[in-house]
Amino acid sequence: MSQVAVASERQRRTIDRSAVLKAGAADPAWLRTRREDAWDTYTATPMPSTRSEEWRYTDVARMLPLEELTLARGDDPEAPYGGALPEGLRRAMEQDRDSAGRIVDVDGSIIAVELDETLAARGVVLSSLREAARNGGGEIEALLATEAVPASDGKFPALNAALWSDGVFLRIPRGVRLERPIRLSRWVSRPGTATFTRVLIVAEELSQVSFVDEILSPDFEVATLVNTAVEIFARGAARVQYVSLQRMGRGACYLANQRTLAERDSTLDTLNVALGGSLGRVDLNARLVGPGANSDMLGLYFGDTDQHFDFNTSQDHVAPHAHSDLLYKGALDGSAKGIFRGIIRVHEGAQGTDAYQTNRNLILSEQAVATSLPNLEIGADDVRCSHGATVGQLDPEALFYLMSRGLKRGQAERLVVMGFLGEVMSRLPMGGVVEKVTDAIESKLGYV
Amino acid sequence: MDDTPILAVTGLRARVPGVDLDILKGVDLAIRPGEIHAIMGPNGSGKSTLAKVIAGHPAYEPTDGSIDLRGEDLLEMEPDERAQAGVFMAFQYPVEIPGVSIANFLRTALQARLENGDELDLFDFQELLMERMELLDMDVAFAQRPVNDGFSGGEKKRNEILQMAVLKPSLAVMDETDSGLDIDALKIVSNGVNTLKRENPEMSVLLITHYQRILDHIVPDVVHVMVGGRIVESGGPEVALELEARGYEEYRNVHVA
Ligand SMILES: Nc1ncnc2c1ncn2[C@@H]1O[C@H](COP(=O)(O)OP(=O)(O)OP(=O)(O)O)[C@@H](O)[C@H]1O
Ligand SMILES: [Mg+2]
Repeated sequence: MSQVAVASERQRRTIDRSAVLKAGAADPAWLRTRREDAWDTYTATPMPSTRSEEWRYTDVARMLPLEELTLARGDDPEAPYGGALPEGLRRAMEQDRDSAGRIVDVDGSIIAVELDETLAARGVVLSSLREAARNGGGEIEALLATEAVPASDGKFPALNAALWSDGVFLRIPRGVRLERPIRLSRWVSRPGTATFTRVLIVAEELSQVSFVDEILSPDFEVATLVNTAVEIFARGAARVQYVSLQRMGRGACYLANQRTLAERDSTLDTLNVALGGSLGRVDLNARLVGPGANSDMLGLYFGDTDQHFDFNTSQDHVAPHAHSDLLYKGALDGSAKGIFRGIIRVHEGAQGTDAYQTNRNLILSEQAVATSLPNLEIGADDVRCSHGATVGQLDPEALFYLMSRGLKRGQAERLVVMGFLGEVMSRLPMGGVVEKVTDAIESKLGYV
Repeated sequence: MDDTPILAVTGLRARVPGVDLDILKGVDLAIRPGEIHAIMGPNGSGKSTLAKVIAGHPAYEPTDGSIDLRGEDLLEMEPDERAQAGVFMAFQYPVEIPGVSIANFLRTALQARLENGDELDLFDFQELLMERMELLDMDVAFAQRPVNDGFSGGEKKRNEILQMAVLKPSLAVMDETDSGLDIDALKIVSNGVNTLKRENPEMSVLLITHYQRILDHIVPDVVHVMVGGRIVESGGPEVALELEARGYEEYRNVHVA
């Protein structure tokens, strides 16, 4: 082995208990304990297998060799990030229009935070989660990996709670309404690494915020993991929109655990866009915990080559008279796979629930496969629920119709696909997201 | 007027793959620039099949004969190439394209006609679209609706003629555009076609219909009768009047395939 290889070998840090100690070295005691407990949960929890319903179509153990990964933060999770802003990230950030604040994450470290001064003066907090956990009061201790995405949720939530290196804390005080979005721009640069990050958003009563979480990376030759836990609390009558825009390179595996808790009369909407990576798995649980709460859940995916996207969603109606509406739409080309598994659970006592769930897939090639498993579990009377799923192909009559007006086959296909996805696209936030998604899809369709 | 036909259909036979019987059993038809031809015929006689074979529908397989457009072999061309060459078919059953607005669709269709690298002037396009919608007495908001999605039967037909008016074909094949139109709409659509004809006297029309009524508005030079996949009679507008009175009975008896 050469000198260089030995040196880099020494910096490798595999996923083990010593990594947990290292990650928590500068943490307050409560957090160190929480990490160690999470690690215990992790070791006691078996790796998800395709024998379980929830992982039936995604053989994560095979697709993601955890034991071969090293932690992205290497030997020293505390070391400041020295490099310049990666070119790909810089370009993506330049495409964004106005924002109320931005926060930048490279390889699991927050390297820049920027917040509109007047908002900061009004009490809005946007910061590195690590710093917030160390300096902040009891709020983070109460909310971090407890009610929303605790270690007990599963193998990856446990691993994340033990090893997270950094993330975002966003708090909007009562009555403060942000007109422009807060943007998180993330980049992963190191092949073969594992990055664990978290997002914690607390929107106090009557506040309003839109949060765009974009993640990018170059293509990787080897499997590279990003695991993220997203915890969102919308207090009474708050309005929150969370948008995840996943545009990573090939080889990247993106595993996200998202949970939203919508209290009385709040609106807590999510939008998951999956375009990049080799494996994308999103576990999203929307909990409607207060009467009158409202959650729109949108999803959009476009897979090609051998991309594998798996969405596991649940709408938990705990409180009565809440409303949730899920619409996930995807197009699959090449030998891509799309899996949607969704459940609406109407808990006992949640009368007057209004819950809908729709998944539609458009298959563009013979090898692409879509699996759609919508489900309902109703434990209350007087509810309105519906679920539906479709898997369809490009309609040859539609293609002929468009071609008979002079469009080339490729243009006709593009129009039909864009039209199909349009229902979700038209609800994407303005100011960068729509443009990025359109560009990404068009380049996938071969019309850059 | 030029005497060489813009469209020459010769001995055309066609079928759908998998079905042994030919639907078109030797169709001959020549349309000269500026002429209006009507085709009438009983249900299932092959009128739409002829229109779709002219437009290049992939479900139909020409097994014999030829179609020439200005001397060029149309059967060798893709549907989009035929459109670029000036062919337009107004569908009997227009197709729904969810999520794609009429404006976006037509903009893309016009852009597709330009040389590589040329950009459609959006202002000119908007103006043309507005002017054409006015011609067809259509509300401007209509342009933002997804193509045929949720349209009434009449709206779909009117949308076909709007597309025709924007794309300005040299050969317009109109397959039962009059079916499903109310009396006022029929007049508006006919006036629209006549206006296009005035703008471009060389435009030829092949109009498929079951009703003599539209031929009062769009007056044909030639009326053909199609039965059992063949054209069994051709003549002047009086043929349509006779058909209206007598039906297809006599042809059916003569031409059992
Ligand atoms: N794609 C197809 N597959 C099988 N049979 C077909 C197909 N298209 C047309 N046919 C058959 O060919 C025959 C002619 O159909 P076509 O639609 O051309 O009739 P038409 O003259 O337009 O009738 P109408 O007046 O009812 O519109 C019919 O018997 C029809 O069932
Ligand atoms: Mg017909």
